[in-house]
Amino acid sequence: MKKTLLLLSMIITLIIAGCGNGNNGASEGAGGDASGTKEVTLKVFNFKVEMAEQLDRLAKEYEAENPGIKVVTETCGGGCDYSAALKTKFSAGDKPDIFFVAGHSDLDLWEEHLEDLTDQPWVGDIHDFAKVPMTKDGKVYGMPLNLEGWGFIYNKDLFAQAGITELPKTISELEAAAKQLQDAGITPFINGYAEWWILGNHLMNIGFAQQDDPVAYIEAVKQGQETITGNQTLNEWANLFELTVQYGQPNSLQTDYNTQVTNFANGKAAMMQQGNWTQIQLLDINPDLQHGFLPMPINDDAEKMDKLPIGVPNNWVVHKNSAVKEQAKTFLNWMVTSEVGKRYIVEEFKFIPALKTISADESQLGPLAADIIAYSDAGKAIPWVWQRYPGYEANTSQMASTMQAFVGNQVSREQMFEQFQKTWEEFAAQ
Amino acid sequence: MAKAIKRSKWPEYLVFIGPAMFFFTLIVIIPFLMSMYYSLTDWNGVSSKATFIGLDNFKKIFMDDDLFRKDFWFTIRFTVVSVLLTNLIGFGLAMLLTRKMKLRNVYRTVFFLPNVIGGLLLGFIWQFIFVKGFATVGELTGIGFFQLPWLGDAATAFWGLVIVQCWQFAGYVMVIYIAALINVPKELIEAAHIDGASKWVMLKQITVPLIMPAFTVCFFLSISWCFKVFDLNLSLTKGGPFNSTESVALNIYYEAFRNNRYGLGTAKAFIFFVIVALVTVLQVMYTKKKEVQA
Repeated sequence: MKKTLLLLSMIITLIIAGCGNGNNGASEGAGGDASGTKEVTLKVFNFKVEMAEQLDRLAKEYEAENPGIKVVTETCGGGCDYSAALKTKFSAGDKPDIFFVAGHSDLDLWEEHLEDLTDQPWVGDIHDFAKVPMTKDGKVYGMPLNLEGWGFIYNKDLFAQAGITELPKTISELEAAAKQLQDAGITPFINGYAEWWILGNHLMNIGFAQQDDPVAYIEAVKQGQETITGNQTLNEWANLFELTVQYGQPNSLQTDYNTQVTNFANGKAAMMQQGNWTQIQLLDINPDLQHGFLPMPINDDAEKMDKLPIGVPNNWVVHKNSAVKEQAKTFLNWMVTSEVGKRYIVEEFKFIPALKTISADESQLGPLAADIIAYSDAGKAIPWVWQRYPGYEANTSQMASTMQAFVGNQVSREQMFEQFQKTWEEFAAQ
Repeated sequence: MAKAIKRSKWPEYLVFIGPAMFFFTLIVIIPFLMSMYYSLTDWNGVSSKATFIGLDNFKKIFMDDDLFRKDFWFTIRFTVVSVLLTNLIGFGLAMLLTRKMKLRNVYRTVFFLPNVIGGLLLGFIWQFIFVKGFATVGELTGIGFFQLPWLGDAATAFWGLVIVQCWQFAGYVMVIYIAALINVPKELIEAAHIDGASKWVMLKQITVPLIMPAFTVCFFLSISWCFKVFDLNLSLTKGGPFNSTESVALNIYYEAFRNNRYGLGTAKAFIFFVIVALVTVLQVMYTKKKEVQA
């Protein structure tokens, strides 16, 4: 009897001790003070798989320069659902000090947890358009991670092989080029239409960003003053969509991101709708690939169509209630002002910097980034707007489903737009 | 004296069951109760405030959530087809592998193997097979079967999921059936054989009734696996194309984490729980009734 009681109490103590440990771990960072001897821990929750290792090395460099501070990074992205993981972390009380939030709708969602960064020294250095997504009521809540852009990436060798000398800038020219490629026995497009984000975020964005005033149009649809059905620009956008399907590979609904990029890199198709983030992978697969960006035209207004959507995919933010938020800000500032940090952003992360104070060129970043920078410098950029849609990615993923139904001949063009309208109304009502 | 023994058993129970009970409460029961509360709120998963809205979430689900209904219908179709096929294949394999044959144990291991690989990984492997493997075979041989858009069309994607689900779980139920078949008394079979019963009659009248407990277990397991299919669904089709293969579990996940409607998601999860519990209880009651003693 006594023995069992003893055993029981031991087990209970063990359990309690076990639980207690978890809590200690979480509050360890809070206990420290920069001036004290105790080590301060900065927890960074990273979403970009492509920079996971490099970020770790950067953290080591920072630790070496700043004794007493430990930077712990954790990565979730790519196949891992960052937004779900972040919510889980917050619910579980394991809140990171630095994490990522996309602009507009995502900012609204997370706003109450975010530290106001308006007074930070780097704020003035951000490209103006890159500042917009994380600005609310005049306050800046995040530091843009980088600039990215997408369009039709085309294979220069295959274009030459088909005898295309003039690069297409309008939809008629694009169709002519596609036909020419097809006649030469080359698949014009490889579409990754199994991925909702390729359809709902990126392709769809063209239709909204090419509106005369995209922001006003989106606001008006949200308020119910305008509709998606019957919009001229969106109807033109559907022509482009149809064109890619007509001249695309068969079974595009089961082509995922990886298949798309691999097949394009291996020269199985002449064009794919993708962004500069594919650069490393493309050159890994085929180091001799000659490639660059083409715009995605929806009508024949050459000047208006010759633009690439350029924007900020995600932003560094600081948790407002973090005990080490000052150290977190110092770390972010160091990253974009110190020589080491700048070098990492360009040469290790291979990012197009979103800050004017950091420079980059083609030899460091590759041809795709060079095209993006050239378009950006020439002012030939259209905005990323899906972060402004009501419901954000809940909305775009539903629109993507509808678009897949259109590709699979389940709905007509009119039904597709009616379905979009319904999706928007549902999320705008919330 | 008897009473004293009885009383002194309590600490023992506590020691053996207590820890499991503690963790079960902590990990299952408490979250379950919490999510019941959240199902009555409009919490978005992030905000610090969750407003109590009564039964509005449930009203919304029953009144105007076409997708949820569609996903439920898909899950039911998927469950019926997969449960039947899984058990048919598993039972067939068990019958074969309880006969005398060479390499019997090797076969058993091979058929069980898919179950050891996690569902998520398995989904990715099969996604590769369907998208790249089948396409390449189709290109080389020109056989129409391999040129189908396996994951790119509603009908074939459904069968794609069924194939992988059966492939994964048939081996598991096979093991249970093998264990049961081995325990069927030989003398009964011999007696029936002498009486001149055909193989089919022996199977129907003797073997099946005697291994009914195995059917109870296998059906129970496969029904609940199929109903709750998530990882396979996520890695193989992500619910696509056009939501045609979205299971209820995936729908709940998307609702809570992508659509930021955590309250609505938990309400759906609660409804889902009630239905799955109901179906499995009914099934167990039904097959239990059929169980006999030798």
